[in-house]
This record gives sequence, structure tokens and C-alpha cells, in this order.
Amino acid sequence: MSTETPKREIDHEEFDPKGTLALILIYFVILSILWVFMYFIEFLGNDLTVIG
Amino acid sequence: MHIHNYEKIWLVLAMLLIVAFISTVAYGATAMGVDMISDDEDTIDPGALDEDPRFADPRVEQVGEDEYEAYVVAQQYVFEPDPIEVPEGSTVTFYVTSRDVIHGFEIVGTNANAMVVPGEVSTFTVEFSEAGEYGVLCNEYCGDGHHVMEGSVTVVPEEEYDGGDE
Amino acid sequence: MSESLESGAPSFLDQFPAEAKLVRATLWSSFTALILGGLFGIIQTLHRTDILRVMDSSYYYTVLTAHGVLMVVSFTIFFLVGVFTWGVVRSLDRPLVDMRYSWTWYGLMVLGTLMAVVAVLGGFVDTTEMSADVLFTFYAPLQAHPLFYGGLAIFLIGSWLAGADWFRAWYAWKREHPDERIPLQTFMALTTMLMWYIASIGITIAVVVFLLPWSLGLFDEVNALLTRTLFWFWGHPVVYFWLMPAYMLWYTVLPKLAGGRLFSDPLARVVFVLFLLLSTPVGIHHQYVDPGIAEGFKFIAMTNTMFLLLPSLLTAFTVVASMEYGARRRGGTGLFGWLRALPWARPAFTGMALAGLMFAAGGFSGMINAGMNINYLVHNTLWVPGHFHLTVGTAVGLTFMAATYWLWPQLTNKPLFSRPIGLLQVVMWFVGMALMSNAMHVSGLFGVPRRTAEPQYEGFDFTPAFGTMNEFDMQIAVGGTLLFLSLGLFIGNVVLTSLGSKQSGLGDSLPPALSGPSDSPVVLDNLKLWLGIALVLVVLAYSLPLVSIISRGGLFGPGVGTYPVIIDTFSAVVESVATTGIIETLAQFEVGVIVQ
Repeated sequence: MSTETPKREIDHEEFDPKGTLALILIYFVILSILWVFMYFIEFLGNDLTVIG
Repeated sequence: MHIHNYEKIWLVLAMLLIVAFISTVAYGATAMGVDMISDDEDTIDPGALDEDPRFADPRVEQVGEDEYEAYVVAQQYVFEPDPIEVPEGSTVTFYVTSRDVIHGFEIVGTNANAMVVPGEVSTFTVEFSEAGEYGVLCNEYCGDGHHVMEGSVTVVPEEEYDGGDE
Repeated sequence: MSESLESGAPSFLDQFPAEAKLVRATLWSSFTALILGGLFGIIQTLHRTDILRVMDSSYYYTVLTAHGVLMVVSFTIFFLVGVFTWGVVRSLDRPLVDMRYSWTWYGLMVLGTLMAVVAVLGGFVDTTEMSADVLFTFYAPLQAHPLFYGGLAIFLIGSWLAGADWFRAWYAWKREHPDERIPLQTFMALTTMLMWYIASIGITIAVVVFLLPWSLGLFDEVNALLTRTLFWFWGHPVVYFWLMPAYMLWYTVLPKLAGGRLFSDPLARVVFVLFLLLSTPVGIHHQYVDPGIAEGFKFIAMTNTMFLLLPSLLTAFTVVASMEYGARRRGGTGLFGWLRALPWARPAFTGMALAGLMFAAGGFSGMINAGMNINYLVHNTLWVPGHFHLTVGTAVGLTFMAATYWLWPQLTNKPLFSRPIGLLQVVMWFVGMALMSNAMHVSGLFGVPRRTAEPQYEGFDFTPAFGTMNEFDMQIAVGGTLLFLSLGLFIGNVVLTSLGSKQSGLGDSLPPALSGPSDSPVVLDNLKLWLGIALVLVVLAYSLPLVSIISRGGLFGPGVGTYPVIIDTFSAVVESVATTGIIETLAQFEVGVIVQ
């Protein structure tokens, strides 16, 4: 499989996984928004709160 | 040990996320007063519920102005009493125990959701501000008739309330 | 056609034929459990959603027990022992010490599984009163046939001996290679096993001290809260036991498939150490709405659980970065454009990548499950199985299937029968699970319970915020059907591969990490130290809750009765063994056990 052959070599120091950082930041934002939605709207906004 | 700068950024963000989650739950527990089911009640002999003043006759009892206590027994495959009848605008403390195996007590579509373990009494307090009907179901597998185990909570307008007797 | 043909290297089978045979046997056991588990899965899905009910609802719980036990005990753990044996032998580059010993632990695991499965399947046979419809969690005082608990105990012993086998191999290797760092895959297997030994303390006490003698009639009562708590002592770390072989594959095989190398070996070690430390002192988060456990203990369990997110979040970064590295070496460019340069035509890669993506989603619902008071919203609703079908059902299950496409040729010297079918299979699993799991999560939020044959009640209806109950049921049924078909394609592909003819040169090597083990502090390899700290954390998290539960209700409970889902009769055992067509030797073994 020709695509298997590496086109270039990059070592650890000079490799900045920019794409990974971008993806993981998007994940961070999704997690934060969903958490707030689930906790404050789905849970605290739900009927009956156990208060004792 | 070499850690890439981007990884350091992510490490900090991940820790932030974790601390934020814990803080949210702590906020719910303190500022919003959401209480967990805990070890408040002593253990009870599930074989002797008939001799217990609370559970011999499962019922709703008024204990103060707008304050009620509901003593509920779960067993294969019913809840007693059924319906659990309380007035609108009341604060109700549930005491739920099991006569046989582990059950669940879930007031459907709400946050009232407890495990019911034989030998233990689950207790929690909720406010019923509006009249209406709630379903109750068992959400822990309790035997081959588990799926028929249901009950109900009826919240009646204050003036129509007759003390919870059927 | 196989990707590894060009490498021309000797395969694992060429290098270690005896070990390859053992790994093949463990994987066949795993796949057998997967087929049966999947069959029970589809019966259950169609029953619950009221699409097709072929049996009385009382049998649903037999089906559910079989589905749960076969999938999360047999399928996962048989695969684990196979992939760990492969990983340890491959990374140490030396054979196991004594194959007779290795076949012994495998035999014990098979025997234990057969015993438990016979007990469970007895539930279908009306002529016998044997059954074990207690579900995977087997909460007392529901009581199963002793064969069920005995089988579980023997299976566990087999898994411990398997761990000891890898430790033996490592000790032998250490004598030959003093002062060298533990190879990464061996490090992963060993830390996982240490976690497993600690976790096993809980279930061993529950089964051996309480449930097995109780089921044999030696005493009449158990403390239901105590055995339940001991179950979860083991019941949470077991999910990491399922997950760790998938992590090993993500860390060591996925980067290679992507055309690159692992980004950081030291961080991988840190992650596995964190799992060893934190997997066990968290089980009480399954008991947030239990009575008899103080709120403070629940809060501590939550704090530990939340910090357990850290190694998974770190893994997400390292694994994706390793993929990005591969993609850029393959000529990928741009902030996101490199994603197109990944080898999406390879089922092994695509399956693992999709499994990882599903784990990101399952991770979120897990975060909700970890939250203490928000548990009121989701506890024991369909949300929970929605969650774990993403984690164990996809992150683990799909990774195992995808890895098989890469590993199986190296264990058999036979090229994969069909790559396109493999690709179709992993995508179908992803789509089926997306449908099923999404509908399960949403249904849970409006209160639909898990573990029920008929979520249809007389006194009330479920009221979704959007959509109808029927629509969600349809989603679950369609998703479940896709999963079942996908499973069939997987098994077919593996069987046809095995029927093919042998070729040489199917070996595929794994490249070293970009940042190698020499970059990490030596203390990471001090397994005794981490084991010690892990034990201290477990004692801190569990001693007070357990003392409290015992002092409240007594070791044998405050008078809790016994509710057998069976009545034991010796003849019934033998009869059901005959009717379920299990081999005679097993029946003889049972005779021995029961007579004692």
C-alpha cells in the first residue's frame, strides 16, 4: 500500500499536534455546555427536588 | 520527563473540568439544598414489618401544618399504600422499606428516585406544589414479575384532602 | 490484499506458535460468548420494545442475565486474557514460562463460564427448577443456583492465575534483562492485573464468604446492603478491567494503523498507574441513592470518581495526537484536513477510531453518572444502559472486533477474508449503537426504567419532552437489529478467514513511541509502590463505610430472608445439563461438586 510509506519524518520536539489541540478544545466546550444543560436544566429544572 | 506544551494545557483544562464538576454538585447540595438519601434511619427487620408502628399499616400521616410522612412498603410486586395520597402544597417525607428483596422507588418523571433495600429504610423529603397524579415504578429488578410493579402518588387540591385514606 | 503482506515479517504465530494457539483459543471463547450474548441481546431488544415477543415476559430476565454475563464477563475477559498474553509475549519477546500452566488457567475460565451459563440457561427449562435469573449484579437476597456462584468463583481464579502467568514471564525476562524498563505492553498488562487483584477482594468476600455458602443452605440470611456494597467494590473497577485492553490497543496498535507512532510512552505509563490507583475506591458512586450509607461517604466516592476522569481525558489527547502524527506523515495538512489522510479504508483503524469517538460521548454520560445528586435524575433508568453500551458495548467491544481484523491474521497466518465486509461491519456497529444508545439516554431522562421486560404501565404513561415513546422504542429496535447484523458479519468474516489458506509474511511490527520510556522517571516502573498506594486508598475509601454497614445491620443482616429464583435439586442439575446438550464431562464434574 503506497500510502503506508511515510512522506516525511517529524520528531517529538518539532511536532505540534495543532489539530488534536483544536479537536480537544471543541470537546472541552461541548462537555462544558452539556454539563450545564444537564445539571441546571434537566436536573434542577425537573419536577420534585429532594430537600431532606 | 518531557511533556509537550499542548498536553500541559490539556492537563490544566481537564483538572479545571473535574473541579468544576465537583463544585457544581457541591453547589446543588448546599445552595440548592439537594439532600442525598443517607443513613438517618436505623435498620429494621424486614420479616417483622407487621410489628413496626410505621410499616404495620403503610399510610400517609400528617405531622405538622402542611407536613406529612408517608410510610411505604415495597414487596414483590406491589407498593403499599397505593395510591399514596397527599394534599397540594404539602411537604412529604417518604420512609420506604422492603419486605423481601431489593426494589427501586421512582416517582416517574421526577427526581424522587431511591433504592429500597430490605433491612434499611430509605428516607427523603419532597414538596408537592401542584395537584396532579404521578406514577411510581420499581426500577430495580426484583423477580420475574418486576415489570408489573407499579404504584401512584395522587396530589389532591387542599380542600379535597381527606387525610390520605382511600 | 492484507495490509501486512508487504511487510514480509514473521508473524506472531511464526515466532511463538504455542502462545498463538492459546491466544486463538481465548479469542474463540470470547467470540462464542459474543454470538450467544448478541442473540440474547436481539431477543431482549425486540421484546422490550414490543416489536416481537417470542416468549413470556418472565423469561426476559433469564435472557437479560445471559446477555449481561456473556457479554461483560465472558466476551470481554476472554478477549482480555488473549490480548494481554499476546502483548506480554510480544513486548518481552520471550515465550511464557510453562504452557501447561497457561492452559490450566484457560481451562478454569472455560469451566467457570460453562458452570455459570448452565445455571443461567436452566431458567429456560421448565422441567428443572434450576436457574440463576439474578442478572449480572446478582443482588442478594435474590438467590441463584450454587452452580452460578461456583462458576463465577472458578472463572475468577482462572483470571488471577492468568495474571500470575504474565508476572512469571516478566520475572523471567527481568533476569535476562536487568536494568531495562518494563516494555510498555507488559507494563500495561501488569498494572491492570494489580488493579484486578485489588478489585477482586470485594467480590471474593461477597461470593465465597456469603453468597455461595448461603446458596448451599449453610446459613439463611445475608446482609443485602453489605453484599451489594461488596459487589460494587469490584463492580466499578471491573469496567476498567474491560477498558484497559482497549486502551492498550489504542496506545500501541492504533498509532501504527494510522501510519505513525505513539506520541508519548511516559504519559501512557502515568495513565495506567492512575487507573491502578483510582479504579477501586469509587464503587460507592453506584450507590448514591442507597439507604444506609452516609452522604459523606458518597461525596468522597464522587471526588475519587471525578479524578478518575483524568487518565481518560489524558488518553484522549495522546491517542488523537498519535493519529495526527500518522496522518501528517502520510501527507495530511491543515488544522482538520489531516483527518482525511487517515486510513479510513482499513476496518481495524476505522473501527478503533469510531470506538474512540463513541467513548468521548459515553464519557460525557459517565460524567453525569459520576455526579452525586444529579444521580436522582438518571439512577436505574434506561440512561444507564445507554451509557455502558457506548463504553463497554462500543469503546471496548468495537475496539476488540476492529483489533481482531489486524491481529487474527498474525495469529493464524491467514489473511483477512474481506476488508470491505470488515469496514461495513464496524460502520454498522457505530450507526446501530448511535441510534440505540441515543434513544436509551433520552428515554432514561423521562423516567423509563432499565431491566424491565415491559416498560408499559397501567396507571400512567411516560411523557417525553419531545417525540413519543414509540419513536424511541423504534430507534432502539432498529439500532439493536443493526448491531445484531453487524455482529453476524464480524463472526462470518473471522470464520471465513480461519477457513482460508495459510500465507507467510503476515507479521506486522509495532514502532517505538516518539517520546520513549527513557523520558519517564524510573519510579513509574516501581509496581510495588503503586500497589501499596492503591491499597491504602482502598482502605481509606472503604473501611469506614463497610464498618458502618456491618455495625448497623450485622454481618448476616437484620433478618433479611432468602428469595431463591430456584429450588435446588440434584436431579434437576443433571437433567438440565442433558437437555441443554452440554458435554458429558461437565455433567460429571458437576456431580462431583454437588455431591460434596
